[in-house]
Amino acid sequence: MAGTARSFGAGTPNISRRSVLQLGGSVALLLTTGACAAGKSGNSGSSSTGRGASTLRIAVSNYLSSWDQDFVGFDLTALMLYKNVYPYMIDYGVTEVSGARILDTQNIVPTFAESFEPSADQKVWTLKLRQGVTFASGNELTAEDIKWSKDRAFAAQANVAGIYRTIGLTEPDQVTVIDKYTVQFTQAFPSALTRQIQAISLYVYDSVEAKKHATDSDPWAKEWFAKNAPTGGYFNVTRAVQGQEIVLETNKNYSGPDPAKTDTIRISVVPAAANQRLQLENGDIDIALGVSKRDIADLKKADGIKVISAPSNDQVAIQMSVITAPFDNVNVRKALAYAVPYEQIIANIYGGDARPAKSVVPLDMPGSDEHGYPYTHDLDKARAALAAAGVTSVNSELVFETDNDTHQQLAVVVQSEARKAGIELKLTPLDPATLAQRREQRNIPLQITSGQLWVNDVEYMLATSFVSSANLNYSNYRNEEIERIYEESHTTVDEAARLRLWTRVQEILAEDVPWVMVCQPNFNLPVRADVAGWVQPMDGLARLRHLHAA
Amino acid sequence: MRILRFVVRRLLQLIPVLLGVVVVTFLLVRVLPGDPIRTILGPNATEEDAAAARARYGLDQSLWKQFLDYLRGLATGDFGTSIQSGASVAEELAVRIGPTLELVVLAVTTALIIAVALGIWSARRADRLGDHTVRIFALIGNSMPEFWLGLVLILVGYSMLGWFPAPSGRVDPETDLAPLTGAELIDAALTGNGPAFTSALSHLILPVATLSIVIVAPLLRSVRASALEVLHSEAYVAARTHGLPERVLRRGYLLRATLVRLPALAALVFGTAIGSTVLIEYVYSWQGFGQWALRGLLYRDYPVVQASVLIIAACYVIVFLIADVVQAALDPRVRI
Repeated sequence: MAGTARSFGAGTPNISRRSVLQLGGSVALLLTTGACAAGKSGNSGSSSTGRGASTLRIAVSNYLSSWDQDFVGFDLTALMLYKNVYPYMIDYGVTEVSGARILDTQNIVPTFAESFEPSADQKVWTLKLRQGVTFASGNELTAEDIKWSKDRAFAAQANVAGIYRTIGLTEPDQVTVIDKYTVQFTQAFPSALTRQIQAISLYVYDSVEAKKHATDSDPWAKEWFAKNAPTGGYFNVTRAVQGQEIVLETNKNYSGPDPAKTDTIRISVVPAAANQRLQLENGDIDIALGVSKRDIADLKKADGIKVISAPSNDQVAIQMSVITAPFDNVNVRKALAYAVPYEQIIANIYGGDARPAKSVVPLDMPGSDEHGYPYTHDLDKARAALAAAGVTSVNSELVFETDNDTHQQLAVVVQSEARKAGIELKLTPLDPATLAQRREQRNIPLQITSGQLWVNDVEYMLATSFVSSANLNYSNYRNEEIERIYEESHTTVDEAARLRLWTRVQEILAEDVPWVMVCQPNFNLPVRADVAGWVQPMDGLARLRHLHAA
Repeated sequence: MRILRFVVRRLLQLIPVLLGVVVVTFLLVRVLPGDPIRTILGPNATEEDAAAARARYGLDQSLWKQFLDYLRGLATGDFGTSIQSGASVAEELAVRIGPTLELVVLAVTTALIIAVALGIWSARRADRLGDHTVRIFALIGNSMPEFWLGLVLILVGYSMLGWFPAPSGRVDPETDLAPLTGAELIDAALTGNGPAFTSALSHLILPVATLSIVIVAPLLRSVRASALEVLHSEAYVAARTHGLPERVLRRGYLLRATLVRLPALAALVFGTAIGSTVLIEYVYSWQGFGQWALRGLLYRDYPVVQASVLIIAACYVIVFLIADVVQAALDPRVRI
């Protein structure tokens, strides 16, 4: 081989090699120039990806992990897309609060369904479908699709199967087809939560199409649904380039209320928050769903951009394990609650754009009591509480998510201030899988959590966070009276009676203080100035049908 | 023929090496703390739900059974099913590996060309202004984190000058490029799609430039040091003293002797570059192999981690094999 190379070098005329190099260089230069020109024309808005008259472009931070809602992990991009591409039978209405349009969790309306009504004892719920609603395949959406979809959800033993337990639905037999357009859900007990739970669970698959892709080893066509987008929602997915872009087109066959206002929505994946900001400033995207808090503060002053702000029910808290020393002592928990500098956190970490938490029940949730969390920053009271616990100092680790900058800043501030009260905290960032495992093992003494409840109701909050079987109960909290109230709330459908229960819940939690309630950050969304129609989702999952260019 | 035998022998050696990688990765990923199943379940999932999910992915089986199933799958080209997405790992890998290899190959090639040209040029002007300038620039490039450098290039090239497209994706989707290899530039060339070719090229320039700037310094230093050594060697001095023409000196005596050490270093740099793409893919919204592997590791997606480590190991071995062959071709003293 070496010999061959040498003879080639000696035998080839030099001028020829130079010519080849020159030619190659020229071609490369031309291509590069052409490529740059292509890039430039894209910026000027004349490229094919430029925004048309009825097109919106949205940047998200990550591509969805799967199109299959029954088997997906906790992936907010995926869950947001599902709200827009799956046909959901019922959904929240829209209301206006202080000039902001928000989803009305007290008003759940039929969308792809015609009606969803209970029997007199509120145990049997009848879902009547609209006639003529079709999937992209042309198959009509019928009661058989609902039945197949819910059978699939129970078989999956994952997302919906878990959430259905809170309203007494545990078996596929409880879902029955009455006729082609009617389905009944027979619950084990009446529940005030039924509408809200079904609003987040009643999505439907095209069962006729799915059965074509089912096999003996994969009877629910799981493999097919993981890769192929569902159809029949407000939008259909007309293009999905893995990791890069998803194009949604309005479903013209939808005949229900509140159809999509924009023909085409292009969703591009832009992981770096700084790039989302640049593209928004340059007009290459209209909505940036992953911009950092610092960038949002700057964008408020930028030309051609507006920042939509709305109160949110997102809660930031520090959960203390009540069965792990030193937080098994209620006075130590109170000491930490007094040591946290709430105002400083809101001012410095959230730029003043957050509301102080007044209770473990989120502000704006029915029944939230503004006296439900009586703790303010007071180091003297913190030291006194610690003294009441019989100690002058305690040590613990403080766990938070590795890639969450806000939690990291929060942890540093809390560590610094808690030290003044005699509480020494070791900061422990954990990756998602380790965090999930340690949470499952319930062995984290202190951890920062944030999130919003998908159902705006205290019963749901108790079910997910404060009863002993709750999966978000990382505090390992158990109070017999809370357990009794939770059981009682299942069958308490009278609103006034429920509110009385919630008042008592907050009194108990204020005294037991399993969580330090840090704050409720507001929601901020930077968009181009001509974007209108945004409706603040109380479950964090944007309904894109409301959006349009002004 | 000798080289062919060498290549076949090395490829056969690949089998036990990769088998070792498979065993070690399979065990290590399970020793790491973290539960992949809990990351895919909703907040209301019970222990029974988690057990059902474990059974779905075969994680309820003994370690031996899991390993044998995995090996059996590998033998048929089945890398398993992603726990996070529920999709076939082989299919996901096929989509992700092409763009990353395209980026790395172009960047390493660019860096090699720059390193050879500037390294020799710099050595011939040792300790003069041009030499110092090249060395300082190489040092600066090497010192800059690729993440920061990428953002700066985007700020200048896209936001300020408007020469390059938005750092979002790898090709304009409107060009309707039919994916074949996953490497957009190659796919566009193979399908004769001109608009897709220029679009892919325009999307490639900044990431390739970022990676090239970061990796060029060690290559350049190596070439310069080798060139200096050759320039001071007896053979070169004798040839020069005998009055051989400049072109013959440069090509016959300097270039080839200088390049002898480069293949091994280039192979190492290639491996490093595959690792460096994680951040570059993040900055340029590239969504390639690096991002996929990182996400797999963060969420303990066992099949994804196993497949990505296996692919990286295979890349290393193959690139070093190529480096050995090239070195043998350049250096007659090397017998393979």
